[in-house]
Amino acid sequence: MEACCSVARIVSFAHLGLRILPKLLALSPDSLGKFRKVSPPMETETVVRKLPELPQDVLMEIFSLLEIPDLMRAASVSTSWRSAYTSLCNDLELYKRPQTPCLLYTSESAGENVACLYSLAEKRVYNLTLPDPPIRSRYLIGSSHGWLVTADDKSELHLINPITGQQIALPPVITIDYVEPIFDDAGTIVKYGLPEQVYCADSGSKLVDPKMLTYAPDELRDHLYVRAFIFPDPSAGSYIVVLIHGPEGELSFARIGDCKWTLLPPGWDYKQCIYMHDLLYAFTGTGRIDTFDLTGPTVTRNITIDEIDNYISWDMWYVVQAPCDGLLQVRRKIELIDAASEDLIAIKTRKILLYKVDMAAEELVEINGLQHHVLFLGRNQAQYLNAEEYPQLKENCVYFADDEQHNWRYKPNPRDIGVLNLDDDSTEEIVFQLWCSWPSPIWITPSLTVMNLSLYE
Amino acid sequence: MATREAGKKMIMLKSPDGMEFEVEEAVAMESQTIRKMIEDDCADTAILIPNINSKILSRVIEYCNKHVPTTGATGAAASDTVAPAALAEDLKIWDAEFIKVNRATRFDLIQAASYLNIKGLLDLTSQTTIDTISDNSLEEIRSFLSTKNDYLPEEEQTIRRENQWAFQ
Repeated sequence: MEACCSVARIVSFAHLGLRILPKLLALSPDSLGKFRKVSPPMETETVVRKLPELPQDVLMEIFSLLEIPDLMRAASVSTSWRSAYTSLCNDLELYKRPQTPCLLYTSESAGENVACLYSLAEKRVYNLTLPDPPIRSRYLIGSSHGWLVTADDKSELHLINPITGQQIALPPVITIDYVEPIFDDAGTIVKYGLPEQVYCADSGSKLVDPKMLTYAPDELRDHLYVRAFIFPDPSAGSYIVVLIHGPEGELSFARIGDCKWTLLPPGWDYKQCIYMHDLLYAFTGTGRIDTFDLTGPTVTRNITIDEIDNYISWDMWYVVQAPCDGLLQVRRKIELIDAASEDLIAIKTRKILLYKVDMAAEELVEINGLQHHVLFLGRNQAQYLNAEEYPQLKENCVYFADDEQHNWRYKPNPRDIGVLNLDDDSTEEIVFQLWCSWPSPIWITPSLTVMNLSLYE
Repeated sequence: MATREAGKKMIMLKSPDGMEFEVEEAVAMESQTIRKMIEDDCADTAILIPNINSKILSRVIEYCNKHVPTTGATGAAASDTVAPAALAEDLKIWDAEFIKVNRATRFDLIQAASYLNIKGLLDLTSQTTIDTISDNSLEEIRSFLSTKNDYLPEEEQTIRRENQWAFQ
């Protein structure tokens, strides 16, 4: 709001000026001189002024160019700087600085509730103390728009913004279709049942009488959660969380404040989601693209592409929205590293291949390089950024974090994290203090967004 | 409308201390604020620029003159013979020289760039301030920018505790 002041102020002054100027001009008809004095010389050098202070709106404009940690420090300089910071926080649309993604990880020495944030921009670590349950006991299953989706040791889900510390409980795990609570005599949940759902490969329909498997509350998350995505919900000024979950890659979604998850039938085998043109695009392991309009009272599935001819069937892959509304599919080829024992299996990213999705021809067309762009891949919502806006990032590089779906089975193992340069396929490690292998580190783009929860009470 | 060279519209900018500057319309329109006034037809002949003295205004005009796109109303691009990369490099060097000013002048330039909404100039002038904030401790920021710490000691402590992680 306040940033408009400068413009408003000058426009009103200018209108005033317009009324005065014709008179002034009439007094000086020799208007061809380029630099022409019509009044006595101005005051001497402005240098002599003591303690120049910038006005609030100008301070806000400068602050809006800072990355978050710098902004936090600037806020502590003086009361007027503090108030410029507060105004900026209250109107985040003015805070236009694109934030360089950071790697969020935990470390034994930092403490159970501490998330370490490695800033690629500053090449240093910040330690953030987060509310309970301890971040070291949670799984990190999604990250977008500055928020993490975590699964705690009771398999309950939370949204948390590590910068502001704001945490929001997502609907209970028992509201996900397929999850059945099993109670003891006292009425406490001791286990959860999850059917081993089997689908008919041809028709896609469920086969009857699935076998029911049971898991302890802290085990359920291993088998239930695959990925979570957070998409802005502009109509509500809030977010929609989309979950890919067990038993077989089904989709559910919930809005902030919902009390239950809503299943999006009848599809399964979903691997990736993005949100584009107010539609949820969901991509299956067999090259089908489904869209859902989540804004209406009833949600129906639309099959946009039945099967992409040359879909990526085996490696890890991602989808990002490239400029001009094109979709880019990214294939991450990994190599199993020969480990001393089976328990120490490690994977390494060796190659990244890029494909444009040709929606009309229903096929993938390989393209060479990202030019001035970079990618951030991992359990986070894949990011496609213009390196020109992020001076610390190397263009045509892919920043990757570990994303093996079953990596919970190998919690102490090394993680596959680094930077791959598409010019020559060379990889580089991101070097900083030792991270814990579990929860597996994840990319996050810091954000000051605070959700107004009073709306949902 | 005053005309200086054939085909080029001229605009008169006036500082509050009484100086007048005649500039090409294209140069003046580097300022989004002035552009809007011209487009809305509120600036037929001359524009008073409040709060910006002639010393600063002349520097702002100097900046806009340098940064106005070289393709003019005359048609052909003047940069045909110069590679865009070389041109950008040249501008960078020029900018670096341009911004070698004392702090008071820099603050005045920041304010002028903000009032006039000239993004390139605002970015350039703010950058030094941003660098100061990015690379230095609070005490250094305060001393470099001559900003007074007007917090009570207990206030400052509370505020630092709030965002304690940023001070590690």
